[in-house]
Amino acid sequence: MKFSEFVELLKAEFMFVYGDVFRRKSLLLLIIIYPYMFTFFVLLLGSAMGSTQVFISRVGVDPVEFFIVASFVIIAVLSVTDDILWRPIFDENMGTLPYIISSPVSRIALYVVMPLPRLTITLATGAATVLPVLTYYRGIEGVVMALIVIGMAAAGGLFFSTLAMLIMGAIYSMSGESWRVLNVIRPLLMILLGAFYPRYLMPLGARMLSWILPPSHPVAAIQLMLANGLSAEVSTALMLLGVGAALAVLYAPLGRSAVLAWERKKLESGVSA
Amino acid sequence: MGRFEAVKQVFLAYLKAELIRSHGLVIGILSLSVWLSLFIAPLLLFRPPGVPPERISGLALTAVMIFIAYSVATWDWAWELRWLMFHGVLEHVIVSGNSIFLLYAGVIPASLLWYGISVGTSALLLTVFLGPPAISVADPVTLLIAVLTMVVVLLAYAMLLGATTIGVGSAGPVLELVGFILPIATGGLVPLSYMPKPLQTLALATPFSYPAELIRYSLGVSNTVLPLWETEVIGVAYSVTFLLAAYALFKVQLKRLLKEGIRTVSMW
Repeated sequence: MKFSEFVELLKAEFMFVYGDVFRRKSLLLLIIIYPYMFTFFVLLLGSAMGSTQVFISRVGVDPVEFFIVASFVIIAVLSVTDDILWRPIFDENMGTLPYIISSPVSRIALYVVMPLPRLTITLATGAATVLPVLTYYRGIEGVVMALIVIGMAAAGGLFFSTLAMLIMGAIYSMSGESWRVLNVIRPLLMILLGAFYPRYLMPLGARMLSWILPPSHPVAAIQLMLANGLSAEVSTALMLLGVGAALAVLYAPLGRSAVLAWERKKLESGVSA
Repeated sequence: MGRFEAVKQVFLAYLKAELIRSHGLVIGILSLSVWLSLFIAPLLLFRPPGVPPERISGLALTAVMIFIAYSVATWDWAWELRWLMFHGVLEHVIVSGNSIFLLYAGVIPASLLWYGISVGTSALLLTVFLGPPAISVADPVTLLIAVLTMVVVLLAYAMLLGATTIGVGSAGPVLELVGFILPIATGGLVPLSYMPKPLQTLALATPFSYPAELIRYSLGVSNTVLPLWETEVIGVAYSVTFLLAAYALFKVQLKRLLKEGIRTVSMW
């Protein structure tokens, strides 16, 4: 694929999503509010059921910092998975799916570009979520930490693109374009990412499933940094990022094949009106 | 087609589409279980070893019962309007000459069936992970008042969201936001006595807190922050007023829709 074609693709996706988001600003508000909302929800319910001290002794991080970061990372990763998993259903409903299937564009390029606009918006909202909270708790170190968290969240989201393609292609090929199945897959992925419940506290089976998810590694790196500070565990964090990136690359050809298999199936069965 | 027949057909259609076709029931239960696990798991990190798990389980079950009730009102009733707009069905409902509420007379029983299944599944999950929930019917009359006021409040809430949906074309983020914030901020998930004072005041200023407080009291989970009779009287009066106001707003939006046409639905 030529670079100019890639830029065209990028431009089209950005126009589509930014146009929608700026027309309906409630989405922006939601992205900013969600991390606060979830943190508040967990703190309120958690305090009613026990105490924050117990949480700190178990996890090693203040729950406010932990959950604001976790929610932000989840939103960033979901912005990628949702776009890739939901878009075919949306395109089918809108009648644009036949044009996409018949277009000669590279599938990997398309699905990597697809979530970028929403991901950039989500990352920008980090300035209104993780940045103020971490700065409040940790001062200048918190500013640096927040920037690293935003960067890691971006990596986590991008690392998920190829696996999301694989999941989307495989599920849609097997059971058709079903939002119901996605409603099981989405929360399952959110659990296995280990953002809300650290990976090292999970039972072995769940931990092993978590290892094969590329974004779970940046998430683990973020939690290490929150618990031990900026200077500690740099090499471990870098190694975890590397593992995430390697997994993402590994899933790329599988993801492409899965999407193409689903498209072939759509060509045979036809697109529903 | 007679009205009763129309309601029956809608009910059967939703039963087939939502619960039977494409393994809807099985997948729905699976989805609910996974979502619940997602929210319950981090909460367990707060639990001191000395607190009986049955008490936590009871608290969690009442929270889940109220949260699922909000979800039904949000996603089954209010979101339904978006679905009708998305698939071009709303026009057909309008030109049929029947009230749009006739459609809901068929949808609501299917929702209630799903609600019962969801709460049962949640109770089972909590029993397995934590222990049997420590709840029992301590005051049947209050429970009846609580359930009725909760239904009235949820109908009003769904109408309010529905009015927003048909007014702006899409309310996905609004629904998600409101669907999450309301149960949290209005004491749907945690007894008001556990909440900070300003939040208690905020919750009591809304009609949502009263049925939730009455449900928890009648199931022996917690006491109400206001005297019981006061909670009941305000709860009933507030829920009826809320329903009337929401109905008026819904009618205004419907009228506007008839004048200006149906809005385009966005992806979100």
